[in-house]
Amino acid sequence: MALPYSCIEACRLSTNGADEWALIAASGTRLVVQSSSGAYTTWPPASGSAVGDTEAEGPPGKKIKLSDPSENTSNFSCLALTHDQKHIIAVTAEDKCIRVFRIDTEFQLQQLSQRCMTRRPCAIAMTSDDSTILCADKFGDVYSLPLLPGPEDEQIRSPSVEQSEAAGEKAFVPAASVLTVHSGRNRRVLEEQLKQAAKGPKKPKEGPTFKHDLLLGHVSMLTDIAYANVNGRSYIITADRDEHIRVSRGPPQAHIIEGFCYGHESFVSRLCLVGPDRLVSGGGDPDLFVWDWTNFELLGKLHLRDAVLRFLREQPDLAARVPEDANSFRIAVSGIWHVPSEANEILAACEGIPALFSFRIGISSTAEQCIVLTGNALDVTFIRQSQTGCTAVVSVDNVHVRVSTTERREAEATSRLEYFSYRPGGQWEQDAETGRAFERISQSGGHADKEASLMTSTTGSEKALGAILYGIENLRKRPDSDD
Amino acid sequence: MPGEPAKRQKREAYKSSVESEEQQAALPKKKFYRQRAHANPFSDHCLAYPKSPKDMDWASHYPAYAVQHDSAVRTEDESHDAAQVSSRRAISKPVEIADIGCGYGGLLFALAPRFPDTLMLGMEIRISVTEYVQEKVRALRTQNAATNGFQNVSCIRANTMKFLPNFFSKHQLSKIFLCFPDPHFKQRKHKARIVSYTLSSEYAYVLRPGGIVYTITDVEDLHRWMVEHLEKHPSFERIGEEEQEQDECVHIMRSETEEGKKVTRNGGQKFVACFRRVEDPPWP
Ligand SMILES: C[S@@+](CC[C@H](N)C(=O)[O-])C[C@H]1O[C@@H](n2cnc3c(N)ncnc32)[C@H](O)[C@@H]1O
Repeated sequence: MALPYSCIEACRLSTNGADEWALIAASGTRLVVQSSSGAYTTWPPASGSAVGDTEAEGPPGKKIKLSDPSENTSNFSCLALTHDQKHIIAVTAEDKCIRVFRIDTEFQLQQLSQRCMTRRPCAIAMTSDDSTILCADKFGDVYSLPLLPGPEDEQIRSPSVEQSEAAGEKAFVPAASVLTVHSGRNRRVLEEQLKQAAKGPKKPKEGPTFKHDLLLGHVSMLTDIAYANVNGRSYIITADRDEHIRVSRGPPQAHIIEGFCYGHESFVSRLCLVGPDRLVSGGGDPDLFVWDWTNFELLGKLHLRDAVLRFLREQPDLAARVPEDANSFRIAVSGIWHVPSEANEILAACEGIPALFSFRIGISSTAEQCIVLTGNALDVTFIRQSQTGCTAVVSVDNVHVRVSTTERREAEATSRLEYFSYRPGGQWEQDAETGRAFERISQSGGHADKEASLMTSTTGSEKALGAILYGIENLRKRPDSDD
Repeated sequence: MPGEPAKRQKREAYKSSVESEEQQAALPKKKFYRQRAHANPFSDHCLAYPKSPKDMDWASHYPAYAVQHDSAVRTEDESHDAAQVSSRRAISKPVEIADIGCGYGGLLFALAPRFPDTLMLGMEIRISVTEYVQEKVRALRTQNAATNGFQNVSCIRANTMKFLPNFFSKHQLSKIFLCFPDPHFKQRKHKARIVSYTLSSEYAYVLRPGGIVYTITDVEDLHRWMVEHLEKHPSFERIGEEEQEQDECVHIMRSETEEGKKVTRNGGQKFVACFRRVEDPPWP
C-alpha cells in the first residue's frame, strides 16, 4: 500500500558525460527519487542511512540545526525544479515551509534550507536565472526569496513595511483616539487596546527573519504563478480565485501592473506558458483560454469540458457519471502542461478525471486526443530521450475509484505512474520501455510506513488524503448571503 | 443583513413607493437604508461585477451620456464569441473620479455640481447604502431636470479591494477618494484595510500619471498607515501641504463627507494626505 504521488518532476543529470534521468515524486510527507539507471533514494532518508547534511548555511560557528527530517509530518503540496536542474524547491503544506534540496550526483536529496512562511504557499515559480523563488500564497501575496538564504539573514532584519503589513508586527500604538468617531464595536476595541497599553505592549508576533520581500498582492487567494522573460523584459503572471489573471512587471518593478487578461467567469486555477507569448489558463470554466498575454488579448478557447464529457460517455464504467443535463457538469482544471518537444502541444487534466486531453494551440479548439488512465490524473512531467522522443510521466490516483475523489478502491491499483510517448505525427502511445526503467518508483507496493494511517479508510484520513490530492473544486464560490 | 421581518417589510413597502411617479423627486430617507457598519472585504458576497471594464453597462448609470448605436458594440475578444451579443451601451466619456467606500455619498453630491462635465462614481460594498445613494441620484436628477444636474454622478455596489480593475481600464481615472475608511483596528485585520502597499498597485493601475489619490481620516494611526504605505509605493509621491490646500477637492472632502461632518460635530481632528501617481519608469 502506498499513497499516490501528488506531484512529480523529472530532471536530467549528466554524470560522466552520459545523460541520465531521474524522477522526483512527492507522496505524503516523503520525496522519492529514482534514476533511469535504477538508483533509488528517499527523503527523509530511510532510517539507518542518516545523512549529515541537515545544517542550514549560516556564518561559521553559528550553524543552526534544521529540524530532523525524519520528524517531517507535513505533506508535500508543490514541487518546482530550477532551470539548471541542480535544485528542487518543495512546499510542505501544513507547516507552510519552502524547502530547497540539492540533487546530488548519487540522486540523494540534500535539504539546504527550510523557510516557513506566515501564510501557506499555494504556488511557486523560479526566475529564469534561478536566483529567486517567487512564492504565491493563500492570502494573495507574492514574495521573493533568494534561492538559498544568505549569511546576512542571520541578523535580525528590521521589519520593513511589507513585513509589518503581513505579520502585523508593529509596536503598539493606540489606533483610535478618544476623539475618533466610534461605532460600538470600535469603542470596545479601543477600550481593549487601552487596557493592553496599560499592561505594556503585547509581544509582537514573530515574522520570518529570513530575507523575503513582498512583491505584489491580490485580495484573493492566489492559485498559480508564472515568470516569463520576453524580449529582455521580465513579467510575473498571477492567477486568483476571483477570475483574475494579472500581468505585472518582474522584479525590481513588480509593483507595476501591466494589465489583466479578462474573461474567466469562474476561478482560475492553472497557468501554462507556451512559448514566450502564449498563455493557456484554466479553472472552473468549461473552456481553457488561450491568450496573447503581453497584449492581454484572448485568442481563443479550448473546449475541455466537451472533451471530458465525450471521454466519460465512451467509457462503459463511467458513462453513468454524466448528468442528464450535460451543461450542469462542472470541471476543475488541475493541470495544464506544455509538451517541451512541441511548439504548441499541451496536455490538460481535470480534478477527479482519469484521462489527459491533448490540444494543439492555434490549430484546433477541440481536443486532439484523450489519453485514458487507470486512475484520476494527478500530475505530469516530461522526459526527453533521444531515442523515444518525449515521454509524459503521469501520476495517477491508485487509491480512489476512477472519477471519484472520495470513494476508495477495493483493491489498490498496481501502478502509481503511467508513461506515454509522443509519436511524431501527433499521437500519444503507451511507453512500456520507459515504464520498465522506472518500475520501482512506479510500483504501488513497497514502503508502507508513516503513510499507513492515511491509507486506512477512516473519515479523518479520507479528509486528509482528499486535502492532499484534491483541492481545486473547493475554489468554486458558493453563493453566500453575507451582505 | 436582513432586518427583522416587520422592519424589512416597512423598508420594502417604502422602497416600492419610491418607484411610483410622484415620489421620483423625493429624497430617500436614510433610516430605511441603514446597515451594519462593517462588511467583510474577503468574503465572496453575491456581488455582481463586470467581467472586464469593456463589459460594464455605463449607459444605465449615466443615461444622459449614452451613445446611441444602430448595432451592438463589438469588441475584439467578442469576435471569438459570436454567440455572446452584448446589451451594454457606451457612453460618450469615461468615468474619471471614483469615491471608494462612498458611504451615503455626501462627497459625490458636493463634487457633482463643481465638476459638471466629469463623470464620477461612488463604490460601496454595503447594499442598502448603495441603494440609498442610487435613490438620491434619481431624486436629484428629477429635481434638477431643467439644468441636467447630477447626470454625472452614480453609485455602484462593489468590493473595490477585489474588483476595482473589473470596472476601470488602465489609466482611466484622474482622482480616487478614500474618505474615512474603516480603520480595522485589530492587527490581524490589517490586510482588510483599503490602503496597503499591494493595493496601491491597483490604484496606480487605474489612475493616469498625474492623477491623485485623496485620503482623509480622523484616526491618526490609520493616517500614518496610509501615508507609510502609499509613500513607500514607487508609483506615488506625496503632495506638499501648500499644493494640497489649494485643491478645492481637499476642502470639499473635509466638509462634505458624512463622516467629516460627524467629526466636526464631535470636535475631532481630520488628517489629510494626497498622493500623485507618477509616470512609470522605463523597463530596466
Ligand atoms: C466609515 S465609511 C466612510 C463613508 C464616506 N466615505 C464618508 O466619508 O462619509 C467607510 C465605507 O467604506 C465602505 N467599504 C469598506 N470596505 C469596502 C470595500 N472593500 N469596497 C467598497 N466599499 C467598502 C463601508 O461599507 C463604509 O460605507
